[in-house]
Amino acid sequence: MKDVGSEDRFSDTSGVLFEQAMAQTRMAVCLSDPNLPDQPIVFANRAFRRLTGYDEDEILGRNCRFLQGPKTDRAEVSRVREAIENEDVVVVELLNYRKDGTEFWNALHLGPIYDAQGKLLYFFGSQWDVSDVRAAREEERHARAMARELSHRIKNMFSVISGIVNVMGRVRGVEDTASEINSRIHALGRAYETTLDEASVGVIDLGPAVKAILEPYAVDERVKFLGNGAQVPFSAMSLIGLVLHELAANATRYGAWAEGYDGQVSVDWQRRDGNAVLTWIETGGAPISGAPAHSGTGATIMNRMVAAARGTIEREWKPEGLHAVLTVPIEGGNT
Amino acid sequence: MIDGCRILLLDDEPLILMDLEFAAEDRECRPLTATNVREALAHIEAQGSVSCAVLDVTLRDGETCMPVARELERRDIPYILHSGDLNRQEGTLAALNARLIAKPACSSKVVDAALALAEPAATRQAS
Repeated sequence: MKDVGSEDRFSDTSGVLFEQAMAQTRMAVCLSDPNLPDQPIVFANRAFRRLTGYDEDEILGRNCRFLQGPKTDRAEVSRVREAIENEDVVVVELLNYRKDGTEFWNALHLGPIYDAQGKLLYFFGSQWDVSDVRAAREEERHARAMARELSHRIKNMFSVISGIVNVMGRVRGVEDTASEINSRIHALGRAYETTLDEASVGVIDLGPAVKAILEPYAVDERVKFLGNGAQVPFSAMSLIGLVLHELAANATRYGAWAEGYDGQVSVDWQRRDGNAVLTWIETGGAPISGAPAHSGTGATIMNRMVAAARGTIEREWKPEGLHAVLTVPIEGGNT
Repeated sequence: MIDGCRILLLDDEPLILMDLEFAAEDRECRPLTATNVREALAHIEAQGSVSCAVLDVTLRDGETCMPVARELERRDIPYILHSGDLNRQEGTLAALNARLIAKPACSSKVVDAALALAEPAATRQAS
């Protein structure tokens, strides 16, 4: 006997409402009688008949287990049995079978119904076909697994490419050139690193990517990240990755991160008028007296790449450090 | 630059392994290369004097570096992890309390990181 609150009691009029609601709802519902041998179904609504494909006379008088079949998970079935024995509420997903033998995933919600005196009258079962939900979940899991596999392979590929460059560099006696090429390959690898792990389609969160690219340079918290959650298309990432690499390498050699100085770099990124705008501001590094006389290989590569992407990079050599603004068009730039 | 230092290099990708091998030779230490768990364990057994190790985490045929890492720990030999499989191997990486260098990385930096761990041990042996 269980105590039943007054709000849970059926009044006589609500019996009519119950019948109408049961007839109309799209939720398959059945009631079974635990006071009869083998707890037969005593009521099954229209939705239940539609879901299972059985007629009313084929349902009434039978135990619910007639929906189970060879591939139904026994462990889940015993959870149902336990819940019935303990007069508990239980929600399980069971593989069930229709009259025509086809399978469907049934989200079964089962619970006891008591009368006003707290006597167990029925078990109430609601069934919902969740086959589509299960398939979607399965597909999502598969997609995630694929994304991870791809991520692993691509990182490995970057490593292999870098290995080839190093080995060739050694054989030809051009180790320095090889290592310069490799530093760019690694920057590129890091630029894509954060994005490959998510199964994101076509766009990249700029923040994590910028942080990953600068990770090897950003010693002792001498970099400040100011950007917001801007996203850019996948195709813009290699340019941004390589430009950040050049700026960071330059800061390490001559600027805020040069040895013997305690400079700072702040990096900001925004989406503005169809552009991605990256701002790089150095302070407190090695003193600068105007623009360098010669632009190095790095700067040359950077300028040509930016131009190829129809972007701009403005450098201002202020006394306290380099102030650079990279603008990359990312909308309507495919003309 | 440690004379007589032996560094165990484990990676199932031959080109990465070769790159690490060259980097180790540059540092004038002796690389012992392995492409799977069996070879790596054989090196540890046979030489008995591996100074430090670089372990790729995800190996061919579903292997991970776990048995090698445990054997090294048992012998008090320091090692670092070198992996591009950070997401799937979260569990393995967390279980192994070792420094991780994410692939792709500069091979000489990877080797240097492992040698840095070996140095205190080598000094201890010498004194």
